[in-house]
Amino acid sequence: MTNNCTDAKRGVFLATVKANKQIGQRFYRIRLEFLGAAAEAFANSKPGQFAQLDLSGIALPAAKNIPDKLANTARRNILLRRPFSFVDITCEGDKTLVDILYCVVGPASLRMTTLSAGDSVSVIGPLGNGFWVPEGKKRVLLVAGGMGVGPLQHLAKVLTTDYPDIVVMAFAGARGAGDLPFEARLDEIAQQLGFSLPEFAKYGIESLVATDDGSAGWHGLVSDCLAEWLGQANFAGKDMIIYSCGPEAMLAKVADTARAKDIDCQVSMERMMACGIGVCQSCAVECKAGRPGKTIYKLCCKDGPVFDSREVVFRA
Amino acid sequence: MKDNVDISVDFAGIRLANPVFTASGTCGYADELADFMDINVLGAFITKSITAKLRKGNATPRIVETDSGMLNAIGLANIGVHKFVEEKLPVLEKLSPAVFVNVAGETVDDYVAVAERLASESAIAGFELNISCPNVAKGGIAFGTEPEQVAKITSAVKKAAGEKVLMVKLSPAVTDISVIARAAIEAGADALSLINTFTAMVIDIETRKPVLANKTGGLSGPAIKPIAVYLVNKVYNEVAKSTGIPILGMGGIMTASDAIQFIIAGASAVGVGTANFIEPGCAAKIVEGVKSYCARKKIANIKELIGTLQDS
Repeated sequence: MTNNCTDAKRGVFLATVKANKQIGQRFYRIRLEFLGAAAEAFANSKPGQFAQLDLSGIALPAAKNIPDKLANTARRNILLRRPFSFVDITCEGDKTLVDILYCVVGPASLRMTTLSAGDSVSVIGPLGNGFWVPEGKKRVLLVAGGMGVGPLQHLAKVLTTDYPDIVVMAFAGARGAGDLPFEARLDEIAQQLGFSLPEFAKYGIESLVATDDGSAGWHGLVSDCLAEWLGQANFAGKDMIIYSCGPEAMLAKVADTARAKDIDCQVSMERMMACGIGVCQSCAVECKAGRPGKTIYKLCCKDGPVFDSREVVFRA
Repeated sequence: MKDNVDISVDFAGIRLANPVFTASGTCGYADELADFMDINVLGAFITKSITAKLRKGNATPRIVETDSGMLNAIGLANIGVHKFVEEKLPVLEKLSPAVFVNVAGETVDDYVAVAERLASESAIAGFELNISCPNVAKGGIAFGTEPEQVAKITSAVKKAAGEKVLMVKLSPAVTDISVIARAAIEAGADALSLINTFTAMVIDIETRKPVLANKTGGLSGPAIKPIAVYLVNKVYNEVAKSTGIPILGMGGIMTASDAIQFIIAGASAVGVGTANFIEPGCAAKIVEGVKSYCARKKIANIKELIGTLQDS
């Protein structure tokens, strides 16, 4: 990334909700507006960084809108903040707009769906380290699993702006068509690489969709789709870099493929975390250290969430 | 009016600008919190547990949220006393709050080694003896549940601690916390801190496995606050008041009114723990809130508030 960082500091800020829109059955995209020091801090944040949202005081949806699978847990009090990466950041004058892609997985994200324009949310951020671009890369492959596509869309935008000479391609996978957080009619998406997903096509980036059940795009795991594509492609590994975000099992497979092809690979990891600022030590990621077999724990929030895939010991 | 209130306290001979501590393990080594609050507004700061040697800590998941609380099983992950002295102490030295180092280990010798190494460091006001960590296989809570063990480790560390104040952190998971408190005081403890977390478990009903890799973790947060207030009051009435030993009260403090409950119950000072994870600047707000309360109640000096629980 171009380093245009000022002294803008992370902090605890109040954001105003500008929009909170449902995408498909399970996904939402919320837009938060920041002013002043917060606007400056978030304007300088990088793809892969994240923020901690306080959702404890947000109302539950009406009972009829609570999904059956959350019927038993919906009413639980929320104590801790929840971490979210960014799908897009835009600056408008002295305002910074931060878009977050999320899906309803538990009582906190369920409450998040009831936020509407004009509401306030307490946000700590921007936190952690984002993706970085090593020297000499000519080709980037973005490999997303499910919700992991969020920060990779943000990265796609920054790459096309800051690195116009790099060729970028995106692979977006999920269990089924309903698990892909896109607005497009996924059953109409091409089975081959092409300018298919509007979310990437708007940056001039070709994309390929894969689903485990074959209900949209390529039939199979996105990690296998990547491996097959790389098997047919004829590019030098050292010229390429893979950026990946998604479930850990998928990241592990992508990392294996990258290592086999001698391609640099950065993965965005996820852990249960309390503070997000390096204090609680909850979000440990096991990493290789020095001699073979020796490992240390790094913190997902502070040392990551983006790691070089070669250093991570993925959880089985 | 608020400015005329004196909320400074004498805590086991240490003069503190105010009674608010940040609790061990919830404020790191101070450097991480610095972006979010002015550490210098605190009365005192307690480091995360320091052991003789570096500890990696437990496998993940290390935390899980519960109703109005959370379980943690970090496993005393820390950089070890030597690196602490080299890297972290120079930062802590510049702070105005009194610095307490939380000391942990697997054997009595481990605890003694940490205290001996730090006893001559002028940046440190005292030690908090962690004999109540529920998340390690050896040491931790094993030292904190038997009065004879408590006495043995307290007197051993007291000898090693030299001039430093020795505070002993008590577990709530005992039959009678006052028995443990008395054992610590008789063995030389200068102060008591209570409570540490409760051993607890959350089960994933799909897999029928515990959520935490360590199986169990320590329950903290607002869920434990009423129990903590009760235990502070019990120890104050049964042990601390008569011996003049100060109590650092903690357990689920999120706001100034929570803190004031502990002070009324008998705590000379209060520790803010889990709340630091949610509002990293909340300790500063609690300091101001305590001051405002005293002003509103026409309490000129916070000493007039400590242990003043009224009959119902």
